[in-house]
Amino acid sequence: MTKEKLYKGLADAVVDMDESTVARLSEEAVCNRFDAYETIDMGLAKGMERAGQLFEDEEYFVPELLMCSEALTVGVDILKPHIRRSEREDKHKIVIGVIRGDTHDIGKNLVKLMLSSAGFEVVDLGRDVPTNTFVDRAVEESARIIMISSLMTTTMEGMKEVVSILQERGIRSRFKVVIGGGPVSQGFADKIGADAYSPNANHAVRLANELVREDAREPK
Amino acid sequence: MPRVRFLNENLSLTVEDGVTILEAARTAGVNIETPCNAIGLCGKCRVKLGSASSTVDIDSQKSPLSKAESARTYVLACQSAIHGDVDVLVEDRSAENRSLRILSEGSSFSYEVKPFITKRFNGHVTEILGGGIPIGEEDGDTTEECYGVVVDIGTTTLVASLIDLKTGEEIATESMLNPQSAYAQDVLARINFASCPDGLATLRRCFIEAYLTMSKAMYEHAVIDPMRVYEVVFSGNTTMLHIACGLDPSPLGRYPYISKLGGGEHMNAEGLHISPFGRIYLPPVISAFVGADITSGTLVSRLDEIEGITAFIDVGTNGEIVLARDGVLSATSTAAGPAFEGMNIARGMRAARGALESFAIGADGEISCSVIGGGEPIGICGSGLLDVVGELVRVGVIGKNGRFAEGHHNESLKKALRSVDGKRAFFITDEVYITQRDIRQAQLAKGAVRAGVEALMSRLGVSDDSVDRVLIAGSFGYHLNERSLLEIGLLPSAFAGKVLFVGNTSQSGGTAFLLNTDFRERMKDVVGRIDKIELANEPGFEKLFVNSLGF
Repeated sequence: MTKEKLYKGLADAVVDMDESTVARLSEEAVCNRFDAYETIDMGLAKGMERAGQLFEDEEYFVPELLMCSEALTVGVDILKPHIRRSEREDKHKIVIGVIRGDTHDIGKNLVKLMLSSAGFEVVDLGRDVPTNTFVDRAVEESARIIMISSLMTTTMEGMKEVVSILQERGIRSRFKVVIGGGPVSQGFADKIGADAYSPNANHAVRLANELVREDAREPK
Repeated sequence: MPRVRFLNENLSLTVEDGVTILEAARTAGVNIETPCNAIGLCGKCRVKLGSASSTVDIDSQKSPLSKAESARTYVLACQSAIHGDVDVLVEDRSAENRSLRILSEGSSFSYEVKPFITKRFNGHVTEILGGGIPIGEEDGDTTEECYGVVVDIGTTTLVASLIDLKTGEEIATESMLNPQSAYAQDVLARINFASCPDGLATLRRCFIEAYLTMSKAMYEHAVIDPMRVYEVVFSGNTTMLHIACGLDPSPLGRYPYISKLGGGEHMNAEGLHISPFGRIYLPPVISAFVGADITSGTLVSRLDEIEGITAFIDVGTNGEIVLARDGVLSATSTAAGPAFEGMNIARGMRAARGALESFAIGADGEISCSVIGGGEPIGICGSGLLDVVGELVRVGVIGKNGRFAEGHHNESLKKALRSVDGKRAFFITDEVYITQRDIRQAQLAKGAVRAGVEALMSRLGVSDDSVDRVLIAGSFGYHLNERSLLEIGLLPSAFAGKVLFVGNTSQSGGTAFLLNTDFRERMKDVVGRIDKIELANEPGFEKLFVNSLGF
């Protein structure tokens, strides 16, 4: 099987939530000594990207997206040991968490999953996360992006506080702040001075990609 | 400064440049509903602009209004900033709101009339006793006149009853929309609004005014003297009780979601214009999100007494669930979201005139439906939504995964599947349809309730087929039918044949608290023993929720 055909097969299998085909094709890639990193990137991750788009288009729903991700994980587990060390670096870090006062984390977990599938290194701070913790951990981890979620109108003010703390410490420009969750909107993001609002998990991945690209272009 | 004219209301005002139409409306006292709290998602605040108007849409490409609507110069009031003189036509929804179906009755059981307040004439004056202890005196013999009021304070609706404390008879009843909705639609928005002293005062005043309007109408109807009313029971969710009592509700909106109000106590009745000896009684509160309304429901459903396994479910924006097993009770609440209220649904509306309330597909694929008040439907209310989704799942137009299915539908169903702005939708009439997104909203709402039920069953070690009876409480639940609930999987199929609709048990339970003082201590004890579960802390809840999303 040609590389291109195998990559396409892997992507299709992820979209179809077909774990056994993912496993078979991933093994085949290893046998054929296809580059493992490229196989994940051009095959599995492409499939997840398509699944994410289907989710955004409301064709797929949460259960399908999770099953696609399980299929992807099967492939990643097979391919990962074959990735050359030099290729492992270079992952963009994102810290993510549910804001102080709120314990609803199903949405955040979905965003985290999509980001990991897309190749980001995600530091999950969990839920009911104090505003300072977002900033402290982002600094510690040298993350470029801070993602904050909230499902409760009553906790949204905390997001504003994170932005303020970044400003007070004079490090606002080092981070992109992305917010999301049921009651959150673009208008609210503008109001509190967040860099972006994301309405769903797939959009969050696109946004993260754009933000790191912008980041790369900006002079240091 | 730009001038805004509200044509229907015949009001005009000048505003700062950049103010939204919604903000202008609130300043002018024009009521525009905002179920999504003015973030541009739900489309319910749409208004029509006069021809010579200039505004700017903040984010028009994400507007939930269809292209056809935008072309007819409808805009979202919450997203449209005013940058020049505008004429605004706000759809008059007062007729719709007046026709809103509010359920004031709930099932109950027979109990002894033994009120907290009693009276005794000693030949000179009438003594008023509270719990057997004298609390006041009235000249002459007034023993024949002894009344109480019960108010069910719902987030959306208010129901009040005037009760004769001697006979236990309900002598008048009134209901209305909760006017606080004009300031903040849902419970969390209400908490947010009331988190500052001014906001709290505004919402409290708003409730008290509504209370006075309803009670005045009842006194006039029953021809009684308000000074002969001695006790008022406030039954309602925890947030509504906080606001009604003037307590800061903000701790309810933040983890660990603590209620400062325990209930099971009396409050000062100042401002209610009843007897100077009168007081307010609050039934015991279970938790921040399971309020006195559910305690009332627990009482009249006798969950603490009946043998076997009973599930009590109040379906609404927050689904409250109590599971009882031989007197052992667990309770939780689950965030179902506003879909059941017809909100966040493309053609959704409340259960008022013009709402499609039930829907069925016959063997030949013929659609039959009923509309509140008759005629053509103008929208879909929660019960209609569940019926439509349930029926479409049953006939295979919607797959088990919630997606509109391609396939071999019969001709009339095929014709009903068309697209709106490039997305598939099922058309019931040319104007009323449900979209793929609506189905997703319904899945989230029903999945949340189902997952809550499953979590409580696993907590008590109960299997779904061992449940003896399922009580669906609340005004919204009353209009649902068992078939739809099972078809969409809001309830496990093993509940078939066991579902009873018990109505507004917040009201009937509040009445029981008013009429029999023994229930007060008993329910305090029962509530103390309830196992209160925070679903977010339950291991495996996320998986349970995801597994509950399909049909």
